[in-house]
Amino acid sequence: MALLRTRTYLAIDAASVAAAEVSHGVKTARLRALVREPLASGALVPGPSGANLADPEAVQAALGRVLDRVGRARVTLVLPDGLARLLLVEAPAGVEPREFVRFRLGASLPWPADETSVDTLAAGAGRVIGAAIGRASVAEYEQAARAAGAQVEQVFLAPLMALSGLLRQGAGEAVHAVLGDVAVCLAFLRDGALAGLRSRRRDRSAGEAERLAEEMQRLSAAAGNGHAGVTLAFTGSDAARLRAEIGAPSPAPDGQPDGDEAGWLGGLLR
Amino acid sequence: MSRQPDFRSGPRGPQPRLWQVGWLGLGALVLALAGYQALAARAEAGAAEARLAGVTREVAALASRRAALAARARAGSDPLAALDAPPARIVADVASVLPPDARLDRLAIDYGRGGALELLVVARDAASWDLLLERLERSPRIHDVEPGPEARAAEVRSVVRARWSAAP
Repeated sequence: MALLRTRTYLAIDAASVAAAEVSHGVKTARLRALVREPLASGALVPGPSGANLADPEAVQAALGRVLDRVGRARVTLVLPDGLARLLLVEAPAGVEPREFVRFRLGASLPWPADETSVDTLAAGAGRVIGAAIGRASVAEYEQAARAAGAQVEQVFLAPLMALSGLLRQGAGEAVHAVLGDVAVCLAFLRDGALAGLRSRRRDRSAGEAERLAEEMQRLSAAAGNGHAGVTLAFTGSDAARLRAEIGAPSPAPDGQPDGDEAGWLGGLLR
Repeated sequence: MSRQPDFRSGPRGPQPRLWQVGWLGLGALVLALAGYQALAARAEAGAAEARLAGVTREVAALASRRAALAARARAGSDPLAALDAPPARIVADVASVLPPDARLDRLAIDYGRGGALELLVVARDAASWDLLLERLERSPRIHDVEPGPEARAAEVRSVVRARWSAAP
């Protein structure tokens, strides 16, 4: 339970590692500290299979530095987007949602099925977001955090934390692009529930903003939105540049962070 | 924060739900209240026990006093202690009932027979004699008044026997 205590979140992504201290109340959360250390390009490449840490020493050193700055060892590890397979499903009556997700994703996973961790997040309207991740990938990140002196209490996924916040907030009808350094999660929210979900790796070449905007429009149309006036919202890594490229409005300043950590951290603070 | 899927690879126990934590908190509260009440009841029981011991001691003392008084009542002719009935007190009691026209010539106190009195009285006339007897009988500490033979020609001279006791 994350009630009435301060937790330290240790987030790892391709471009940087970050530690955030968040005080949790019964229904509130407040950011107390946020520190970030950049990673050299190529030191960490988040992916669903194979080794992610190309330069484990560099990653551990960066993790050690942010932990030193927050002065806490017990952490919740936040894994980057790009590791897990995500799926929005409505489980048939009488079927345990987690087992249904395992069934739906099992054949397409790039790692052995018995090496899979599967869990779900309620998405409203009777649906769940299913997430499947290889245990070897989780262990690789946990090992790096432990080597840097952290005691890992929990392991969360950054895109699920962001989506959880959006769902809890009851955000209005909009398509959200939750941006990680190497992957993006597109979520269409309508009536306080998740109506559509896509997750894929990012293509940072020129025109990324236009391509994402078109895909977000298609997602809203596929999920049943008949009109074209849906709001597009970008949060997370490089969100400000993408918003500027397509002329999307910046979010109103509401005290939420707007940096690379805005996705998962915003999900905590909403 | 709502429950997040936790992908930790190590072993873990089941995640407690909010309602479980609530019940746990409620249970702890009830336990604390029960403990407080138990302590309060224990203190109250201690106080009651102390009161009971005091009352028991008092009852025992009263019982022994009652037994002593009962024994004294049963033995009406038991010797009277001079400490309980000093002669001056008995004389004062007798003197207080003498009418003006009567005089006490002799008073004998027999402590060995429970305070038996023998009064040699001389009264000026029969009326004074009768008044003396009446007063003796009404006196709270003088009992068993027995007037002796009397001659009522002029003055009355006689012996009156009675018994004096401290208790009315």
